[in-house]
Amino acid sequence: MNPSSFGRQIAALRRFAGVLLRHPQSALGTALVFFFLFVAVFGAQLAPYANPNDQSHAPRVSPTMDIGALQLGEHPFGTDRLGRDVYSRVILGAGSIFRIAGLGTLISVLVGSAVGLYMGYRGGWFDELLGRVIDALLAIPALLLALVLVGIIRNLDFEIGSWQAELADNVVLLVIAVLYVPVVARVARSSALDIKTREFVEAAEIRGEPTYYIIFREILPSVIPALVVEASLRFSYAIFLVASLGFLGFGARPPSPDWGLMVNENRGGFYQLTPWALDFPALAIAILVIAVNLMSDGIRRAVQKGN
Amino acid sequence: MLKFLRRRFVFFVFTYLISSLMIFFLLRVLPGDPARVIAGGREATVEQVAQIRSELGLNAPVPQQYVNWLGSFLRGDWGKTIAFRGADNRELITQRSINSARLALVALLLSVPLSLVLGIIAGLRENKLPDVIISLLTLSVVSLPEFVTGLFLINIVALRWGRSELAGALGWWFPSSSAVPANASFGEMLPALWLPAFAATLVLLAYISRLTRAGVIEELKRDYVRTAALKGIPYRSVILRHVLRNALLPTVTVIAISITWLISGLVVIEYVFGFPGLGSLLIAAIERRDLLLVQAIVMVSVTVILFTNLFADLAYAALNPRIKLG
Amino acid sequence: MTTPLLDVENLTISYRIGKRWIPAVRDFHLQLAPGHVVGLVGESGSGKSTVALALMRYLSSNGRVESGGRLAFAGEDLLSKSAAEMRSIWARRVKLVPQNAGAALNPSLKIGAQVIEVLYAAMGIGGAEAEQAVLGMFHDVNLVDPEKVADRYPHELSGGMQQRVVIAMALITNPELLILDEPTTGLDVTTEAVILDLVRGLMAERDTGVIYITHNLGVVAQLCERVLVLYAGEIMEEAPVDQLYAQPRHPYSLGLLNSVPRLGQSKADSRLHSISGNPPALAQLSSGCVFADRCEFVIDKCRVDKPPLEQLGDGRAVRCFRWEEVDASFLDPSVETSYQSSFHGDGEEQPGRQIDNEVGDKLMRVTDLKKHFPVAKSLGDWLRGKTPAPIRAVDGVNLTLGAGQTLGLVGESGSGKTTLSRLIIGLQERSGGQLELLGMDIRNSVRERSPDVLSKLQMVFQNPQNSLNPYLSVRQALRRPLVKLRDMTPAQAEAEVSELLRRVNLREDYADRFPDELSGGEKQRVVIARAFASDPDLIICDEPVSALDVSVQSAVLNLLARLQEEHGTAYLFISHDLAVVGYLSDVIAVMYLGQLFEVGAASDLFQPPYHPYTEALVSAIPVADPEHKAERMLLHDVLPSAQHLPSGCRFHTRCPRKIGAVCEEEAPPWREVDAGHAIRCHIPLEELSAQQRSFLRPEEIG
Repeated sequence: MNPSSFGRQIAALRRFAGVLLRHPQSALGTALVFFFLFVAVFGAQLAPYANPNDQSHAPRVSPTMDIGALQLGEHPFGTDRLGRDVYSRVILGAGSIFRIAGLGTLISVLVGSAVGLYMGYRGGWFDELLGRVIDALLAIPALLLALVLVGIIRNLDFEIGSWQAELADNVVLLVIAVLYVPVVARVARSSALDIKTREFVEAAEIRGEPTYYIIFREILPSVIPALVVEASLRFSYAIFLVASLGFLGFGARPPSPDWGLMVNENRGGFYQLTPWALDFPALAIAILVIAVNLMSDGIRRAVQKGN
Repeated sequence: MLKFLRRRFVFFVFTYLISSLMIFFLLRVLPGDPARVIAGGREATVEQVAQIRSELGLNAPVPQQYVNWLGSFLRGDWGKTIAFRGADNRELITQRSINSARLALVALLLSVPLSLVLGIIAGLRENKLPDVIISLLTLSVVSLPEFVTGLFLINIVALRWGRSELAGALGWWFPSSSAVPANASFGEMLPALWLPAFAATLVLLAYISRLTRAGVIEELKRDYVRTAALKGIPYRSVILRHVLRNALLPTVTVIAISITWLISGLVVIEYVFGFPGLGSLLIAAIERRDLLLVQAIVMVSVTVILFTNLFADLAYAALNPRIKLG
Repeated sequence: MTTPLLDVENLTISYRIGKRWIPAVRDFHLQLAPGHVVGLVGESGSGKSTVALALMRYLSSNGRVESGGRLAFAGEDLLSKSAAEMRSIWARRVKLVPQNAGAALNPSLKIGAQVIEVLYAAMGIGGAEAEQAVLGMFHDVNLVDPEKVADRYPHELSGGMQQRVVIAMALITNPELLILDEPTTGLDVTTEAVILDLVRGLMAERDTGVIYITHNLGVVAQLCERVLVLYAGEIMEEAPVDQLYAQPRHPYSLGLLNSVPRLGQSKADSRLHSISGNPPALAQLSSGCVFADRCEFVIDKCRVDKPPLEQLGDGRAVRCFRWEEVDASFLDPSVETSYQSSFHGDGEEQPGRQIDNEVGDKLMRVTDLKKHFPVAKSLGDWLRGKTPAPIRAVDGVNLTLGAGQTLGLVGESGSGKTTLSRLIIGLQERSGGQLELLGMDIRNSVRERSPDVLSKLQMVFQNPQNSLNPYLSVRQALRRPLVKLRDMTPAQAEAEVSELLRRVNLREDYADRFPDELSGGEKQRVVIARAFASDPDLIICDEPVSALDVSVQSAVLNLLARLQEEHGTAYLFISHDLAVVGYLSDVIAVMYLGQLFEVGAASDLFQPPYHPYTEALVSAIPVADPEHKAERMLLHDVLPSAQHLPSGCRFHTRCPRKIGAVCEEEAPPWREVDAGHAIRCHIPLEELSAQQRSFLRPEEIG
């Protein structure tokens, strides 16, 4: 990379960030997402009780947090009916949702763009066939497919410690990756179809450039903005899906401090007893989903303006 | 038009075959023995597993199994459940589908007009106050996971207001739960319906209104809108006759796609509210490892979705003069 | 002149960019009397469309007319009108015919309903009465079968028909003022000629004041009485049309007129004059004359003070301090104007090198080249078990091209010329026929061709905007073919990049620029440099200047001519502009519906005998000379589809010189006029010669 193109990329990034942050909603969303990310990364340091399943506290303690006095108290979000500190559990739960949604999105974007770019550029029977398969996959609602996949894989018996068991433990992450590959591929494909008719791609063909050069050097840079938008959108859906699966009992297993699971464990009759044990994880999910939505909307806006 | 019809039909059949293939293989070919799973996992005896294998026709070659399975599905023979005391799968699914359809219908009736109005207002007032408010609403509150809004509704409306004097005076409008008998009539079900339907409405609202807004904004920039305005006709006519006529055309498709969304959303909503629909049946079926039932439910969902899409394509073609020749 | 129809004084129009208001049009003046036609000429960015919208009071929300100006229509101040008042004026008194008729019509309403709506808004007429009026108007704009047209949707009409509908919509209320904003841009020359003819005829019958906006000096010369020349938002010159062309007073007008090749002008005779540099960016205008940076008459004062629009009497006005000295003799057409005014390449060569048609080595031979696109079966075909006819885009073309020559390829859009070029370059696979380059057969597609063949064939595209990868610097774009096709080491390539830039008159520091930092003309120079990088024998130029502004076009044409002389490279030059093709070509081939109908030396092609199709193409060119209002040979109807080709001579359905059944039944023979000039027509050459006349101006013959 030569210095001028590096400088241009820095400048473009700065312009992008400028547009993103100038808009109050997207600035707020971005700030919140980074706040949650910070909590996710440093959860173990931030949580007062490092063990989320420590049941040594008094059960059903009301939240001791006092916003007016800026005090947290011993159990800021109270304790649940088993005597676990809700505050620590919420903090420690941030890590898994970011890891699963983030990695799942990353894998799907990488694989999906490679597949989609190749389909779009080469066309022909490969594109035709894969295109049909993708259409068929997309006809099955994502949540249904996820439920079925997770439900089946989790019921399989694997030897503890084997690689299959390892995979099964990360089943939600894998399912997200698998579900979103066709979606991302479709976006990458249609962008590639658009770009490949541009004359600069034809000029490369006239030079006899190999396929990989044309795809990665000529087409990919122009497709990246669309992929960034799609990735941010996928990330917001992934967060949504992880939370929903957790809630339906198809995500992390008890006693994990998974937000969706915590909501599910404390609803119904238990809600009367310890409403805070449901309210705080639900609030965390709500704020995170809204923040990611605002951020991805801002990213879309910034990318459109950049073009 | 004929060419278009034929293309859509071929597409429909092809997609249907591929999705059924995927559903079939997901449940048959994944590592692990489905017969063992059905028989109860590790505790099952070898004889039990063998019996289930032959009952399910699992001893035939896999392609043969697929053809048998699809054939009997299309004939309406969906087998018996294991989880629900041996009831007939088809009867079970039909009953639950009707309940889900009622829920979906109420949700669509509420959300489509509302989201069109919101989307049009936001689109016509792009970046003005109404648009900012509507966009912020659709982006935030309304795009929350269904179980968060659902629980909020239950905890606030059903549990708190439902016990108030006002609710008592209004009578059946405030049921304490949506768990009604699965065979209740529409009238009996209605009070239990409105709360989950409202949650489903929120799911759709964000989606349809955002797409409508985008459509209106796009059409407003077109040259023909300028032509219309320079004809000297009133603003109202420019919008109604020219902008909306074109902006709302794709809405047919949007509504069809939103039904795909709704089916996902209903699974969660029915589970949250304990409503006896297809979605809660699916979760129960998965939890109880009733593979045949799961397959049938997913196939029914895919069938509904593909038919909706086909219908939407045809409606779009019928409404859009540009497609007739293609 | 009592009350003029339109009286505009000191009008300034601004656009908001970010938080600033940038004046896009400054100090605009215009007087128009009923029944007169004034032309507004300018390049892209000159503000001509902004003026049109401001005169209509229909600026977008980020535009405004600054106070202090005057905009009076029939004595009434338009700037103080309310929205409702403007609506009633729009409804019948002022009409706009926009540029892109296809986009200006509502795609989901029938044509008839859209025109009736105009009548209803204007006079409250509806029902059968309105329908009658609409049909009558359609008849007046020469729409064949008005009832059918009224019952169709816009996408079912051809571009020319859509344009007529839009004109009918504007004229049906008999407006007092009509603004035509580039109504023929994007249409074929042949269609353009028909539309211009129509507009001229309709204007002659009415008392409507017309403002005709265009970038085409030829169109203005043919249609207008007075012309305003607009540049970077200011009027440079105003004059009656004949005086402007005979004796322009502003350096910009002079430069523009001289940079357009005249019909019959050839690269062998002279270089074109060209205006150096690019139009200024609106956001960074200096206090001086907006044209100063590109002006050959510039003095120090021009850069500091803005010249006023000086009235010279006789309806002439000019914005220049040195207008009295402006004279065509000042220009030196023999020197290629360097692109950067501060920089001169050393490639100043002597013009007039003769290219010998006969002796040139054969570079390429195309034999019976075909491209048939299969058509998907419809349901009906499927049931009846028959295969639909393919689209025969290129259907048996034979050509030879000599080394170092330019072969010009002309024809309407849809004639197959672009497909032909793509078959040769290998971007599309041919269905039949042979391609020979330097005696060797070359393969179908670029994927199968050897690097040796690839390096010999290069291409310059129509749209410079899309020809360069926006994410690669000029250096990266130029280095790649050097490394790939000439096996250069990085160091060699580095040196060669500078050399390539120098040859296309770009400074060396352009190597580190990215496409978005280049103007259209500069991009096209880089594309040309890239094409020359592999040292090719043949470059295919597909409309290389049609996306460029007039003032930039001539510099690119000169560059192509010079590079050809220096390198002996052959060009296959495709363009819809016959004057441009004529200027650069040694041989011209005329293509219609996938076949060639005339091939000849460029100098022969503008004189009888021509093929009737060539005759129509040549006569349709709007010549930039008001004295030259030739009788046109108009082609009505649209190009037949390449799927259902007419029998016999493919041109018979539109041929004005059709002689009878033989044209419908038999394919015409090639008739040789003289060596290298042949016409494919049933009419004997002597008869053609007798009926046809030359379109060259007398002084250009012999």
